[in-house]
Amino acid sequence: MTFRLWPKSLLGQMLLAVAVALLVAQTISAVLLVLAQEQRREMGAANGLVFQLVAEPRLDYRDREGRGSKDRPRQHWQRYRIERTAVYPLMPGEKEDAKRKELVRSILADQGIEPVKLVVTHRKIANDSYVMTQREPKDRTGAWAPRNEVIVAGMLRKGESQWTVARVPLGGPDPQTLGGIIGQTLLLYVVLVGGLALLLRRITRPLRALTMRMERFTRTRETGTQLEPSGPEDTRRLITAHNEMQARIAALLDEKDVMLGAIGHDLKTPLAALRVRIESVEDDREREKMAATIEDITRTLDDILSLARVGRPSDTPESTELSALTATVVEEFEDMGDDVLLGETSRIVLKVRATWLRRALRNLVANALRYAGGRARVSLHSLNGAAAFRVEDDGPGIPDDEIDAMLQPFRRGEGSRNRETGGAGLGLTLARAIAEQHGGSLVIANRLRPDGSIAGLVAELRIPLD
Amino acid sequence: MSNDPAAPTRILLVDDEPSLREPLADYLTRQGFAVSPAASAAEARSLLLKFTPDLVLLDIMMPGEDGLSLCRHLSEAKDLPVILLTAKGEATDRIVGLEIGADDYVVKPFEPRELVARIKSVLRRAARGTVAPQEDAHYEFEGWRLDPVKRRLTDPEGAVIAISSAEFRLLIAFLDHPRQVMDRDRLLDMVQGREAHLFDRAVDNQVSRLRRKIESAMREPRLIQTVRGGGYVLAADVRRVSDSGERA
Repeated sequence: MTFRLWPKSLLGQMLLAVAVALLVAQTISAVLLVLAQEQRREMGAANGLVFQLVAEPRLDYRDREGRGSKDRPRQHWQRYRIERTAVYPLMPGEKEDAKRKELVRSILADQGIEPVKLVVTHRKIANDSYVMTQREPKDRTGAWAPRNEVIVAGMLRKGESQWTVARVPLGGPDPQTLGGIIGQTLLLYVVLVGGLALLLRRITRPLRALTMRMERFTRTRETGTQLEPSGPEDTRRLITAHNEMQARIAALLDEKDVMLGAIGHDLKTPLAALRVRIESVEDDREREKMAATIEDITRTLDDILSLARVGRPSDTPESTELSALTATVVEEFEDMGDDVLLGETSRIVLKVRATWLRRALRNLVANALRYAGGRARVSLHSLNGAAAFRVEDDGPGIPDDEIDAMLQPFRRGEGSRNRETGGAGLGLTLARAIAEQHGGSLVIANRLRPDGSIAGLVAELRIPLD
Repeated sequence: MSNDPAAPTRILLVDDEPSLREPLADYLTRQGFAVSPAASAAEARSLLLKFTPDLVLLDIMMPGEDGLSLCRHLSEAKDLPVILLTAKGEATDRIVGLEIGADDYVVKPFEPRELVARIKSVLRRAARGTVAPQEDAHYEFEGWRLDPVKRRLTDPEGAVIAISSAEFRLLIAFLDHPRQVMDRDRLLDMVQGREAHLFDRAVDNQVSRLRRKIESAMREPRLIQTVRGGGYVLAADVRRVSDSGERA
């Protein structure tokens, strides 16, 4: 299972890794920041509560009944905060906040105050009648608003009968903090990821050029001009090394071509001379044998030369009608007096190198004739998006484990090792090379009867329909 | 060809390789030709100043001036029939050779008898005057196109249709005589050329093969029709088109 968005390129993967790492780091730092803020807020709230509780609010306070006056000018904001009441501050059903209570108690202790009773809890502003009735409307909104809750702390001092009750709003997380972190993260992304992308492009662009270059070289063996080294030192050295290697390979290939050309010329001329000279041999049978031997050598030589050239064909593909091509090959064999049957063919037009394809097909038929009692059937089908040339024979077939070996150069089917059959066993290798040159394949398999016995061999040359 | 039927055909044989040149000259002499061997293009040129051969056998790969260059000179300046000898059998080489004016092309090692058959065939065509000038003009019929130099037949959709050399010759015979009834003997005479094995091939067989490639329905041949008791006829109009322009 692969994730679709997973980038495949070096650039993409590195950027993704950096982005993910950055995201994780920023998340951790955001969590820590929020936690610290939370703690600071709790501390602030506790301090606020204690400050209210221990301040001397005796001059002005408002009792729960709410007497008193909006008409009287406020003398001190403090007085509005403290409630003096005989009522137990906890409303029915409410629970104490143990942690906050401990915090408040410890701060009180620092001030030298040991209350007889202390309760700390939190509740909705709407449920708090004091805030709702005694406090100014703005205290029900604004700073009190984030969670719409208040922390309520009630304290009963020694010798007092009334509770002193203080309230502070329960703060929410500061939206600005979170926004800050997000902003910071985005900025980091732009700067870091952007900068990294620029740097990586500097590395990967020459790499991509190099890759494309190598792919083209593999495909066409075209050397062209050398790739200019660019990018960081490592990349430059890679490109330089590649240039040297490519030049070497090209030189070797050229050398091989020149050498094979020379072999072709140098061997074919004396062969031609020999072929002319044997015309003066009186004995007809002897002369025929000599001619056959020379033909064998020529054929092998041609196969070797073709095999060497197949990766670098000089002719360009042309759209060709394949059933006519198949028929032409079959007719060549008919003209030689061979028993080759043209089976079903379908009209398929495909861009191919016809000369080579004919040669491949010819080799398959020749192979079938040579090893399978001189009979072959050829057909052409369009199958699974490929043109499939099938060459069938009624011979003994090949043991399954030897089929791969058959495609190796200079291998021949078992039981046909006599020189009389001729050919160096390059035929199938060449056919496969030609199939691969066309982006196709050569598949060789035994043809089985319904009872499982071998009825013959079938060679199928497949060429994809674009 | 010499006008005097008693005079032997004169062949100029140009090959730098003495191991081939000498036995080939001997063989051709035994076959009744008058052979003048030359070891290089330069030697051939100086020999050409002294006499005019009926045909030139020319090796392509030679040190100094190569065979292709000499071939161009021969077919342009002297209008001499040329058969190229080469060690390379690639189609492109063949086409290049034929395009610069060679009349035929033999790949080493060749069968000497086949070479003789080809020499005779080229001489026969030269005598009939059917060589060169019009050879490069393409034939067009019913959307089909035949390039006689590359022997490239393309169907109305532009796909290459592979044909054998016998079929090519047969098609040329039809295309040169459109809408004319061609009896079997005449076709046989026109088709039998370079390939010795064609001499005993039935024309009917070749016609049937050719039909298989160019007729859309084998049962009702439209292009090459059978004439009862007579032979065959190409039921199509043929135009000859060359790169420089159209010809009749």
